[in-house]
Amino acid sequence: MEIVALQVLNSLFYAAVLFLIAAGLSLIFGVMGIVNMAHGSFYALGAYITAWAVAAAAPAIPAAALFVLLFVGALGVAAIGLAIEPTLIRPFYRRPEEYQLLVTFGLLLVLEDLIRLVWGGTPRTASTLVDSLGLIQIGGLPYPVYNLVMIGVGVAAAAALWAFIYRTKFGVLLRATAQDRRMAAALGINVERIYILAFGLGCFMAGLAGAIVVPTQAAVLGMGVEVLVIAFVVVVIGGLGSLEGALVGALVVSALRTITIQFWEEFELAALYLIAAIVLLIRPTGLFGRKG
Amino acid sequence: MYKDRIEERRGFLKQFGATLGAAGLGATGLAPRNVQAAVKPKGNIPDKPVKVGHITFMTGPAELLGGPGQHGHILAQEEINAQGGLLGKRKIETMFADEAAGTDGNVKELRRMKLSEGIDLFTGVISSGNTPALGPVAEELKVLTLFNDGCTDFLFDKAVPNPKYSFRVTNIQSADGVTAAIGAATHWPKVRRIASLQPDYSYGRNVFEHFSLALGKLLPGIEVVSESWPKLGTTDFTSHITKILSVKPDLLIAGVWGGDYVAFYKQALRYGLFDKMKVATTLAFGGYPHAIGKDHPEGVLAGVHANYHFLYPPGDRWPLNKSFVERYYKRWKEYPSFEADGAYTALYLYKHAVEKANQLVGGWPDDDAIIAMLEGAGIDAPAGYLYVRADNHQGYKDTVTGLSKNLPGYDFPVWDPASIVSIPIRSITAPPNWPKPGQGHNESTAAADWIKKTWPTAKAA
Repeated sequence: MEIVALQVLNSLFYAAVLFLIAAGLSLIFGVMGIVNMAHGSFYALGAYITAWAVAAAAPAIPAAALFVLLFVGALGVAAIGLAIEPTLIRPFYRRPEEYQLLVTFGLLLVLEDLIRLVWGGTPRTASTLVDSLGLIQIGGLPYPVYNLVMIGVGVAAAAALWAFIYRTKFGVLLRATAQDRRMAAALGINVERIYILAFGLGCFMAGLAGAIVVPTQAAVLGMGVEVLVIAFVVVVIGGLGSLEGALVGALVVSALRTITIQFWEEFELAALYLIAAIVLLIRPTGLFGRKG
Repeated sequence: MYKDRIEERRGFLKQFGATLGAAGLGATGLAPRNVQAAVKPKGNIPDKPVKVGHITFMTGPAELLGGPGQHGHILAQEEINAQGGLLGKRKIETMFADEAAGTDGNVKELRRMKLSEGIDLFTGVISSGNTPALGPVAEELKVLTLFNDGCTDFLFDKAVPNPKYSFRVTNIQSADGVTAAIGAATHWPKVRRIASLQPDYSYGRNVFEHFSLALGKLLPGIEVVSESWPKLGTTDFTSHITKILSVKPDLLIAGVWGGDYVAFYKQALRYGLFDKMKVATTLAFGGYPHAIGKDHPEGVLAGVHANYHFLYPPGDRWPLNKSFVERYYKRWKEYPSFEADGAYTALYLYKHAVEKANQLVGGWPDDDAIIAMLEGAGIDAPAGYLYVRADNHQGYKDTVTGLSKNLPGYDFPVWDPASIVSIPIRSITAPPNWPKPGQGHNESTAAADWIKKTWPTAKAA
């Protein structure tokens, strides 16, 4: 029984992280029409910046204050995103999609090398954060309180994002731009501003995912590429460009992964791709994707 | 009490001629040979540099292994060049390429290095997925090749069964699982229920197969109660860990490595896995030594790919290791890993063969002469005595593993000196000319067939 409880929690934690990444990926695609191949690298950057900040600050400030650094990691990535959109992405909006894929893939390679250049090949960790919250016992098995809190952060982030997009004026402008860029521009919406903010927001969420993950695991080279593949499975299932889709896709993928690991280990990846393939066959736009 | 247990374990290890603790080398009858006085090169040596190609992981999670390999190679190159180069004349120049480019990319790069750049020697390569593809190409291009790692048995069992140009320096892969099994059986003879966590590719399969095979002979009655096969590059291990906890094993054998292992142990620690079972690994200490934090639990069998840890052989018994660690530390401000030793030794092995061939033929020896000297070569390496078998071009040295411990003076965990198990390689690997897979048996490796057919099963305790 306690094993079931633990596996459900494992699955929810993984889903929270996947949701943050996939939602950012979907948001950027939904608003700007860009498939951002470098999105996983923003996740990795979030992890590295957080680990670096925690290592630098840990001796000086109390553990509770270290949690602020999770947002430092996320904001750092958002700042990088705000600098990249106008310089690197903007010149390619009018080009065919393959140019956009190439430029973001190039960005992925550059960021990977940049991470190695700045932080080296040794994994970076921030376990202090996990240890500061301690463990609870679930049926005699320990479980880190940190993971529980971060599942909560994932839920809060989903709610905040939903409210932001469906309940604020900026959200209305964002959705209008996503539906019809030229009409939005004709109505006087500053589309460039919408784009850069959407990109920054997507990067913030990827960075937050990396920041949440790094205390429990480690920031390692290649983590961005690894997660990008799974994030694409999530958005294929949920529908690229849809926030509800990202949420449902993340829950489906992480539940499926946990179930196959527990019962049918070697089927883990095959099951994910199989579900993605079935969804593509039945609903090519994904469960919540828009038609056309 | 503890002493009795050590005595008992020494008895157990005797059947392999293996040793426990720092006594190591003396017991196996090896003592460092005197460094040979430099011999004057014969004949006319050109002063054209020797071009070396080196492919290793420079990006991705495997950089943890590739980085030290590159450092070891550069150190050897700088030392040899400081003495005037090979045969006192030919300096070594190396071009590096990233192994993360994938198998096809590596094959193309090797072709380019040989055909466009005209390399004289090819070295490096970490992944067992890449050497079986590069080996046949090296033979086809006739480029002298000293693989540092990529140690799958498959390379010289199947992919290149009759090698001429390709050699490999580090120990054969099957020895890795067997060494972990002997280490585990030495320290924990009571374990029966075994769980396994392996990366889902040829290396993980090889470790699991040889570990369970050998452990089954050593501790009859063991039972594999759970297998986990995370994909290489996994960082979220919580579901695997929970699954392993659910079957309550006595022992976990883990072959996950690089960044994966770091992520794994961080999560396993917080999930209490290390309190509930013994843990044996093949590559926990396989990357940069400082990549593992002081929070790593003590008493874990921390594998080094059955090759080398910088604390062994101890400096007072094997000064070559002591001086290597000092020179390496001075150059890189870090401690060497087994890949560092492998890459460093590969260049010195080449130097050794070139010098011997020069004494016989004079001038700069051609590849055939160098190959003749590499076959059956034996040199003193930091890791101990290394010899290259002529039948399969594979390097062999005694294997080694030990239990993790935090010792003063290091910012990272090292081995408890009293726990180090060293095993003569001849006791755990198939002898020369043992039938290869497909030659009268269908085991996955010659070693597996040899263990099945020749190892007695221990009497149940």
